[in-house]
Amino acid sequence: MWLLAAIARLQPAAESQAEDESGLRRIASGDQGAAAGLYDRHARPLYSLILRILGNETEAEDVLQDVFAQAFRQAARYDSRRGAVAAWLLTIARSRAIDRVRARRTRVDAPNAEMQTLDEMPDVQPDAASTMLDQERARLVRQALGELPMLQRMAIELAYYEGLSHSEIAERLEQPLGTVKTRIRLGLLKLRDVLTEGRA
Amino acid sequence: MSTHEELKANAAGYVLGSLDPEERRAFESHLAGCAECSAEVASWRPVVGALATAVPQVTPRAELRGRILSSAAGARTGAHLHDRKSRAALTWLPLAAAIVIAVGAALYVARLQRQMGELQARFDQAQSTTAVLAAPDLARIDLQGQPVAPDARARALWSRSRGLVFTAANLPPAPAGKAYQVWVVTAQAPISAGLLTPDSNGVGTQYYMTPADIAPPVAVAVTLEPAGGVPAPSGERYLIGMP
Repeated sequence: MWLLAAIARLQPAAESQAEDESGLRRIASGDQGAAAGLYDRHARPLYSLILRILGNETEAEDVLQDVFAQAFRQAARYDSRRGAVAAWLLTIARSRAIDRVRARRTRVDAPNAEMQTLDEMPDVQPDAASTMLDQERARLVRQALGELPMLQRMAIELAYYEGLSHSEIAERLEQPLGTVKTRIRLGLLKLRDVLTEGRA
Repeated sequence: MSTHEELKANAAGYVLGSLDPEERRAFESHLAGCAECSAEVASWRPVVGALATAVPQVTPRAELRGRILSSAAGARTGAHLHDRKSRAALTWLPLAAAIVIAVGAALYVARLQRQMGELQARFDQAQSTTAVLAAPDLARIDLQGQPVAPDARARALWSRSRGLVFTAANLPPAPAGKAYQVWVVTAQAPISAGLLTPDSNGVGTQYYMTPADIAPPVAVAVTLEPAGGVPAPSGERYLIGMP
C-alpha cells in the first residue's frame, strides 16, 4: 500500500488552506471577490454534510446559504490556531443543520418522507483526481465506522449526524448513560487510530 | 464536583457535540483553564472532522452558486467571479498529473470506485438505521419466538416517515433453499418488508423501506419461505409481535 501512503503524504490541504486564509482576510476587509473561491473549494463537502443530516435538498440549500452567509460575516473571527478553514466551515455547517433537525424534531407535525431522499442520494462521484486523497480518507473512515461494533457506530452516528445528546442516545438505544459514553469514546478512539495510521 | 479526569473523559463528546447541556457547561468552564484538556480537545477535532467528510459527496445545484454569492455581495454583480474557479482547478493540475503518471490511475480509480460502491451500500444502510432510531414517530414492536423456535427474539423499530429497522436473535439457520421473510401485517393484508439473513449466531439486523401510505401495522411477523421470498406468507411462522 505504498501508493496510499504516498498520496496521504502529499498534504493536499496546505495549499488550499493558504488560499482559504487569504480569502477570508480579503472578505473580512470588505473584498467580497474572494467569496467565489471559498464557495468553489467548499460548497460540495459542506452541502454533502448538510444533506446527510437533513435528508432534504431544499432545506440543505437553505442551510448552505446560511452557512456561507455566516462564514462571510464572521470571516474576521476565524482563528487558524483552532483548525483549518475547511474544518471551521464544516463545524458551522453541522451546527446549523443540527439546529434545524432539532427544531424539526420538536415540531409535533414533523413532515413525513423527508428522509426518503437519503436512499436516492447519488453515489459518491469520484471523478476528479484532485479529490482522490479526500476520497481515500473518507473511505478509510467509512470502513472504520463499518467495522465498529454496531452499538458504538450507532451511538456515534446518532450523536454526530442526528444531533442527539448522550442521554437521548441512551434512551433510544436502551443503554445506560455511562455505557453510551464509553461506547462513543471507544468508537472514536478506533477512528483516531485509523486516521493516524492512514497518515503514517 | 467532577474531577479533572472525569472532565477530560468528556473531551471527545464535547467535540462530537453530544454532551448534555449541563455537562457541556461544566466542561467548557474547566476547559478555559486546563491546557491538558485543551490538547485533548484538539486531538479529537480531526477525528470528528473526518466524520463530516465521510458522507456521500453530492454536488449542489449550479444555480445555488449564483444565489449564494450574490447574496454575499449584496448589490454587487460578481461578473468576473467565474474565472477563479478555473484558477483553482489549475493549481490542482500538477498534483493530478503526478498521480496519474505514478500509477496508471485508471486501474486504481476503478478499484477505488468499486470499493466505494460496496462501502456506500453498507453505509447507506447504517445511515437509514440511525435515521429510523432518531425518528420523531418511532414505534417499537417486540416479537416472540413461536413453537418452532421458542428462543428466537426480535424487535421492530418502525417510523412511517423513515422505514423499519428489524433486529432478530436466536434464529435457527434457514435450511437450504429457504429464507426468512419479514412481514408488516396491516388490517388489510400482510406486506412483505423483505428477506432477513441471520449470521451464524442467528443474529440479523436489516433496514427496510416501508410505503409512506401504509396502514398502521397490527403485527410484525417472520416466516420461513422459499429462497427469494413470496408475495404472501405461506410458510411456518417463526416470530410474531404486536404493537
